[in-house]
Amino acid sequence: MQIALVSLSSCLGCQAVFLGMEEYLYAIIGENRISFAPFIMDNREVAPVDLALVEGTVRHAGHFMRAREVREKAERVVALGTCACFGGVQGLADRFAEDTMLRRRFGDAAWEGAPAGVKRLLPLDSFIKVDYFLPGCPPTQDLLRKFLEAALAGAQPQREETTVCAECRVVSPGIPQPGPRRTTEAPPERGKCLMEAGYACMGPLTRDGCGALCPTLMGLPCRGCRGPSDRALLDPHVDMREETVRRLARATDSKAGEVESAVNDPVHAFYMFCLAEPALRRRRPEGSSPFVQRLGER
Amino acid sequence: MAELVIDPITRIGGIAALRIVAEEATPPEACLSAFGYRGFEQIALGAHLDNLLPVVSRICGLDSLFHQLCAAMAVEKALGVEAPSRLRLLRELALHAQLFERHAVSLSVHSLPDLLFPSSDPSLRNLVSIYSVDEEVVRRLLGLKSLGSMVLQEVGGNSVHPVNFRTGGAARDVPGEKRDALRSKLEEARPLLVETSRLIKLLLRRNEEMASRIGNVPAPSLALRGPGQVTMTGERAAVVGPQGDGEQDLSPHDLLGRLRESNSAYSHVRNVSVEGYGETRVGPLSRININGHYGTSLADGELEEVKSQWGFPIHACLVGHVLRILEMVHAWEKMHELLKEPDEGEISLEVKPAAGKGAAVLEAPEGMLIYEVELTGEGLVKDLNLVTPLQFNQRVLETSLAKIAEEVGIEGEPKIMDMLQMAIRAYAPCIPCGLH
Ligand code: SF4
Ligand code: SF4
Ligand code: SF4
Repeated sequence: MQIALVSLSSCLGCQAVFLGMEEYLYAIIGENRISFAPFIMDNREVAPVDLALVEGTVRHAGHFMRAREVREKAERVVALGTCACFGGVQGLADRFAEDTMLRRRFGDAAWEGAPAGVKRLLPLDSFIKVDYFLPGCPPTQDLLRKFLEAALAGAQPQREETTVCAECRVVSPGIPQPGPRRTTEAPPERGKCLMEAGYACMGPLTRDGCGALCPTLMGLPCRGCRGPSDRALLDPHVDMREETVRRLARATDSKAGEVESAVNDPVHAFYMFCLAEPALRRRRPEGSSPFVQRLGER
Repeated sequence: MAELVIDPITRIGGIAALRIVAEEATPPEACLSAFGYRGFEQIALGAHLDNLLPVVSRICGLDSLFHQLCAAMAVEKALGVEAPSRLRLLRELALHAQLFERHAVSLSVHSLPDLLFPSSDPSLRNLVSIYSVDEEVVRRLLGLKSLGSMVLQEVGGNSVHPVNFRTGGAARDVPGEKRDALRSKLEEARPLLVETSRLIKLLLRRNEEMASRIGNVPAPSLALRGPGQVTMTGERAAVVGPQGDGEQDLSPHDLLGRLRESNSAYSHVRNVSVEGYGETRVGPLSRININGHYGTSLADGELEEVKSQWGFPIHACLVGHVLRILEMVHAWEKMHELLKEPDEGEISLEVKPAAGKGAAVLEAPEGMLIYEVELTGEGLVKDLNLVTPLQFNQRVLETSLAKIAEEVGIEGEPKIMDMLQMAIRAYAPCIPCGLH
């Protein structure tokens, strides 16, 4: 079983996790299983492989060509990390048109040989067929190792998914609580449910797998870095914003409108990692970006 | 006209290409190009200050904490609040851990193969081949990376995109027994570090001819100035001419006023120069050219050796590899020292949103990182501007590459691709940061 490690527009964080796997990494390099990985080797063309791990999003034609090349050469393609699976934080750029963004940054500059930019920010499976998804920003070492162990043994590496809440070990502070609150204004009390304490915690709508790192270990609200849970993706009546606002309103005994005016950066608070995910986008009132644009560019 | 294209450049962080054009009768020109502007300054617009850190963190997975804390410090400036001293200490500890980790990655994965096997086939110059001939070297270097990750995991709550820090605070401190455990881990790793440092110095000596020739271009240096020693945070920057001449101290405010940003015709990475100095180098070379010492005994001991061999100020970019390992030694000593401090004192402030503007400067592993932030009265990001190390280094690097092309010639010399890429790797450019 040979592996390729490919990055598109990314932060390299997912590859950093790969490099941190210690003994398991040594086993992989000891068996000489990496055939293509420009981050660590001198190859320029994708070699035929059994499994390609693709990190990042497609931002321009160059990324698209690379993604297509990978699809042709790889038996199975894995969307590695939340960027590739759901657009990730970079997906927040979808609030703006690509040419508007370029104009704001570069004025009316033009470039020699610049590849054409994408019109919309979309997850990897909008461009090529993806066989497996391993979200997480980045996925934990444990998730990545278990995934690779299964995939390299030829098994189906998919796991049962629940939500971060299902892994979270906190108790209820008893509601109502003051809020909605921000961690910068009032540091949360460790061991208490953040949502019920009045913080916008995305745990109920985020897929499990990180061991509820932020709420359980750190006493911080989940920001949703593992991406939307299966329910959030599949149930057409779930919207990340509406659902979180409803829960926060209940926890703080306030009206939905009050919560909405307190959480005054809805795009970042509710969609930090999944704004570009088409399944959710279709569901937002009025369908898509004009609405979100209004939210973001208030 | 002769042309040489390397696309993509391998064993660096991110995707970039190099094109060298040599017209007759004019010196060759080198263009380092990277496309795919990521838009983070605009992505952050409208974010509440509470949500800013996790956003900017995703600019770079290897330097995430530098982005987070530079943003936090700029916001603190905008709000006129000062981080409590224990929080500052925790931040410093975490920054040293990340620098340690980042240098270990760039040395092991990107540069070591060139130094170990300078003349073998490029397809063999990588971690995997090194592992097949000498497992220990790879285990040692990646073991050091893991050590940095471990400290970061404890202090930051996570090793990639840490979650512990926010503007004005941290969610938790490092309890006493953990600090002791980390210190004994650091101590255990001492031989690894000493061995690795010896190895890198030896390799560079063995490749002395190459190291003093490739990319040895005098350039002005820009870095934060510490009290007679290298620092990662601070309120004073300095810029100095190539020969240590024309030295000038600048407050962050003055520095910002003198930066000149311009578009590049072949890249989405915007260039930044310093008025009065032109293209300026940042990173490990500049930090030591400006400050002269690390300020810890082990690192300074080794530095003397380096200075006596390579002279001072240092402009040979491959010596950067030795300085990276010295910075790791320094970070190791600092982590030891900071972990000794008892966990006493507040680690968090209450931060109330208010309108304001602020800027902060940090020394990230590959050079100066600058954040300028403006907030609305509700604490939302109204404007964000950031400058990353590659934006400074790009031109100096291109000058070095053009010089190599001129001296060696781009046609008929089989080693030219290798030499050019070695020079690029010696700057450890971070493309995702450059394209932010
Ligand atoms: S998923 Fe997160 S860690 Fe992975 S490349 Fe994207 S931003 Fe980086
Ligand atoms: S803290 Fe967040 S993740 Fe944990 S139970 Fe409450 S809502 Fe769910
Ligand atoms: S708790 Fe949420 S934000 Fe934190 S690591 Fe898990 S999924 Fe990511």
